[in-house]
Amino acid sequence: MINLQDLRDTARDLLAKGEARAVIGFRRGSRGMAAEPAFITRPEEADELVWDPTCVHNLALYLVEDRKFLAHNRAAPGLPIAIVAKGCDARAIVVLMQEHYFKREDVYIIGVSCEGTGVVDERKLAVHLNGAVASNAVFDGDDYVFTTVQGEKRLAARDVMADRCLECREPFPREHNAVLGENKTGRELAAPFTALARFETLSATERWTYWERQFDRCIRCFACRSVCPMCFCDECVVDSITFPVTAQTTAEEKANRIRWIERSATRSENITYHMTRAMHLAGRCVDCGECERVCPVNIPLRLLNNKMEREARERFGYEPGASIGGASLVGSFRDEDPGSFIR
Amino acid sequence: MSEQEAYEPRIIAFLCKWCSSAGSDLAGVSRIQYPANATPITVMCTGAISPMYILSAFNKGADGVLVSGCHLGDCHYMEGNYLARRKIHLVKELLEFIGVEPNRFRMSWVSAAEGAKYAQVIKDFVADLKPLGPQEKLSRTKPEAEHL
Amino acid sequence: MEKILDKKRIDDWINALTGWEILTPALEDGVWAYRPVSGAIRLDHTNTAQPPKGLAFPQREVFFSFEQIKGEAPRLTQILPDAKQRAVFGVRPCDGRGTVRMDKVFSDHAADIYYQSRRKNIVYVGLACNQPPGANCFCLSVGGSPISSDGLDVLLTDLEDRYFVTAVTEAGKALIAAAGGLLAEPAANDRAQVEKVHAQAVAHPQRAIDKPNETPAKLKASFKSPLWEELARACIGCGICTFLCPTCHCFDINDEVTGSAPMRGSRVRTWDNCQFPDFTMHSSGHNPRENSGARLRQRVCHKFQYFFENFGMHQCTGCGRCITGCPVGIDIVSVVNKVVEHAG
Repeated sequence: MINLQDLRDTARDLLAKGEARAVIGFRRGSRGMAAEPAFITRPEEADELVWDPTCVHNLALYLVEDRKFLAHNRAAPGLPIAIVAKGCDARAIVVLMQEHYFKREDVYIIGVSCEGTGVVDERKLAVHLNGAVASNAVFDGDDYVFTTVQGEKRLAARDVMADRCLECREPFPREHNAVLGENKTGRELAAPFTALARFETLSATERWTYWERQFDRCIRCFACRSVCPMCFCDECVVDSITFPVTAQTTAEEKANRIRWIERSATRSENITYHMTRAMHLAGRCVDCGECERVCPVNIPLRLLNNKMEREARERFGYEPGASIGGASLVGSFRDEDPGSFIR
Repeated sequence: MSEQEAYEPRIIAFLCKWCSSAGSDLAGVSRIQYPANATPITVMCTGAISPMYILSAFNKGADGVLVSGCHLGDCHYMEGNYLARRKIHLVKELLEFIGVEPNRFRMSWVSAAEGAKYAQVIKDFVADLKPLGPQEKLSRTKPEAEHL
Repeated sequence: MEKILDKKRIDDWINALTGWEILTPALEDGVWAYRPVSGAIRLDHTNTAQPPKGLAFPQREVFFSFEQIKGEAPRLTQILPDAKQRAVFGVRPCDGRGTVRMDKVFSDHAADIYYQSRRKNIVYVGLACNQPPGANCFCLSVGGSPISSDGLDVLLTDLEDRYFVTAVTEAGKALIAAAGGLLAEPAANDRAQVEKVHAQAVAHPQRAIDKPNETPAKLKASFKSPLWEELARACIGCGICTFLCPTCHCFDINDEVTGSAPMRGSRVRTWDNCQFPDFTMHSSGHNPRENSGARLRQRVCHKFQYFFENFGMHQCTGCGRCITGCPVGIDIVSVVNKVVEHAG
């Protein structure tokens, strides 16, 4: 169990001692039980920080945002920025450091272990609460306890935690400066890639029918891209609107900018978008599950990324977010890489 | 003539300049007869092929996509084809995962001396593609159903 | 015109509506959406994930196709939508009012022929909200109500084993006429019950915009407030709020070129989103809404100030989708209330 006061004290000390310029963490939101990202810069704000089953966000995204803000203003980072990071979030930070997006010393990782209890999936919870609204949620051993108008509701975490938590190999943030909570690894409640294995029992025709239905719903809101810490490109290759322009960009360059796919949310463009994103995340996705959580039309995006992750692990012996000094998946090779498919 | 016999699959072939593109030239000057279904696109190295090119080729209506480069150990840039082997494997797995027919996308090693092999690769590819019919899954040329 | 429909006969009414394509809420992969009716109709939805605005204002609209043979002038062929008659069942009052606001922009203010050719063939059969479908509803404080018939052609009220059917427009009356003998005249107890249900619906507690009438002026006075950046601090520019909103309607126009010899393609309108960082990017590289605070301010002021100033009504209908959908908890009710309070 994590003592919330320890988390708040850690944050407060960093700010009070001038060891960090800000702390990114979670605080209570304005709608019901859900936590929201918090950005505190003064020691007294540390009392706002919370840690509960609704702390689902991958805050590494805001490290990227911070870096872009600094770059835009041509400012040096100065003091490190501190961040509350779950196991999954810490792996995302490792990937960003691996790609030299920022230096290790620029980030102070306050690791928090969910101790295998994961975080809540609001869609699953809604089914269990049967229309009731929870105003509060806390960890309690292997359970979550929710407060509703009808009173307290205790649910086994395994029944309402996110799928990516069920399949998680490592709830403990391996990379950290300080860490709260115990290292309870090997506590997979479902085998990794369970959802993926289930999907792969389908035939090729059934798979296509399935994906067709999913991608027909896509409205190309780009939320999946916006929420992913690894989608940090200023110019997204599959979104020609993000073409960077300056006063020197010529009319020809603007008119002839490459449009790999159109903005129309038609099936062909949607599929190409999602497949491109999956390829760009191969070896980089740490399965934080945010893309699937935020999708307004419930597209099971994790399946695509998990497929790439499993290929990376099983064919290439590659684990995303394992070590800061490691090479990228597609920038390296082994002699024993599979090649029998090549004629 | 049946509809199937009249259908000619359109292949986009990404060929590395140093080996496979030269190999295709050799097939030509040797007057080896092979189907004219492939549109060659020369790239400097298979390692320089972004998965985006392959997906885009399908998106624009290609019925089949071929990536062909130097044999391992012969890459003009030493390691490019090793990197390609990994990337192309991932693309292939992803396409099959979505449900695209595995026969639509393939990779080969064809050296500058293997004109005959190049011709055979294309011949085989066309023969395997014909029964599959036009590629519609990723293709933007297919008319769209309206959706909310 | 008011009628009573036995719930068991609603499928018969649908079947009697030959000549209309019927769309009803369907649950697909955990998402409620309007789909062509298939089997028995379901009206036990909370609300659809997306509002019905996409029926008259689709994500993709082809304006015209073009072809240009080298040396000649381009030939344009206008493509008007093949707009069939549609009846949409189960529309919530907030979405009905959303339609009124979309009509203001695309019909009343400027005649958009593409929007209009679809809109004039759509009939909305609404369903009153006996209790709030979601935790984030706030229709009452923006001039709406769970029993409002604005923008709807027919309003159904659920009376357990039957629906109280209220015709709102001539188009609605035509739909009711098609039902023939399936609909009965309401009895005195029906009217009494529907009044009671409506009174209870309106009395149900909801979230609220605190001072809806003072909001436009207070927002206007808050343009330079530092609160905007603070409230938008967590915003990731995902665009969900805008795309799910019943009244957001910004769009982009692009030419989708499909051939080069001869040059051919289509001019296409697609949804655009003021929350995307590049929405206001100028050709020079300057972006007047460079940070998420400016973009949040834009959306909130459009809903609660600019639209009010232009059309005398709040653009927001209180459906709550933006609040439920926001991945980081940005809450328009909380934002508006905080800014208004801060304005003093």
